Amino acid sequence: MTTTDDLITRLAAEPPAQTMRSNRMVLIIVASIVAPVVVFLFTLGTRPNLALAWTNPMVPFKTALPLATCLLAMSVLLRLARPEARVGQAALGFIALAVVALTLWTATFAMRPPETRFAEVGAFSLSECLGLIVALAIIPTIATLRVLRQGASTSPTLSGALAGLTAASGVAVGYSMFCTRDNPLFFVTWYGVAILFVTLVSAVVGRRVLNW
Amino acid sequence: MQLTEDPLGTLLRAANAGDGRSYARFLHAVTPIVRGIVRARGRSLPPDQHEDIVQDVLLGLHLKRHTWDSAQPVRPWIYAITRHKVIDAFRKRGAGIQLPIEDFSEILAADPEADPLAARDDRREVDRLIAQLDPRSAEVIRALTLRDESQVAVGERLNLSPVNLRVTLHRAMKRLATLGRKDVP
Repeated sequence: MTTTDDLITRLAAEPPAQTMRSNRMVLIIVASIVAPVVVFLFTLGTRPNLALAWTNPMVPFKTALPLATCLLAMSVLLRLARPEARVGQAALGFIALAVVALTLWTATFAMRPPETRFAEVGAFSLSECLGLIVALAIIPTIATLRVLRQGASTSPTLSGALAGLTAASGVAVGYSMFCTRDNPLFFVTWYGVAILFVTLVSAVVGRRVLNW
Repeated sequence: MQLTEDPLGTLLRAANAGDGRSYARFLHAVTPIVRGIVRARGRSLPPDQHEDIVQDVLLGLHLKRHTWDSAQPVRPWIYAITRHKVIDAFRKRGAGIQLPIEDFSEILAADPEADPLAARDDRREVDRLIAQLDPRSAEVIRALTLRDESQVAVGERLNLSPVNLRVTLHRAMKRLATLGRKDVP
């Protein structure tokens, strides 16, 4: 019993901790997403006629879907940084996003003539899309995991996954302004694959680094 | 929201604002609650390990005290951390091989709370035990317990903050205790 009392005496002598502020965490996460994307878009430029491209009703989805995913994932992530938090209703949001993406995919599949469905798929387009999204996501994923270590998530794997999801979907928003492939069969599939890959890796890393 | 302020919340709020005495009172008040939860969940573990887990939980509460949002009730936060650390402790201990304790009752140290280094007069034995720790923990133990250096000096030399140093020491001592018990021939 005395050792516990000793421990308490020692702990009580420590200087007080600074309270965790969600605003600061948001700032760091957003900055870590925006910085590499801005550098990327300034170096390689946005696609030609970005504004014109947006008149195609399919194109806004390319930006809006990852943006909604990023915002939802970030809000859940910040809540889960506190130990007592649960995912709760937010799970429905993720399901809704998945339904929108799948609907878009199936509808396009049904409407397009077979020969144009997967016309964009090629070694170059795939490695460009997957490679750039994954590469851009590295910095924000690391930054987000680092920020989360200040928190106390009681589900480190889930928090790790959300960190990857936030980072990868965030950079996909930026990448979508560069990418010229507007076929939902292409972008839903391959943005999705790239984002899920980062999410999985981040979940595995989070399981280790977010435990306390 | 609660109509009356939870006294634990009041104490932790004062503690996080820098009041060390309130913090000690908070930890003392929380300890029996934690002990109760550990006892209730820990039937499968020998009772002598319960207090170790209680201390793990207190350390967890301490290291994560900044994650309590003072606008929220404090108890769900305490219970969540306790549950997390208890499950964690069980997982760690459950991973070891479980042997019937009767087989070892004659050779096990009688008092698990005893200083793990005290029972071993032989300096070489002690060195051998310490050598099984990671280098940093080993150095912390050697400097603080064998050479009686000051915490400040050791912290500066090893580039450890005071909190980190104490946590490292605490954990290293616990690991030593386990090693010491395990390796009595």
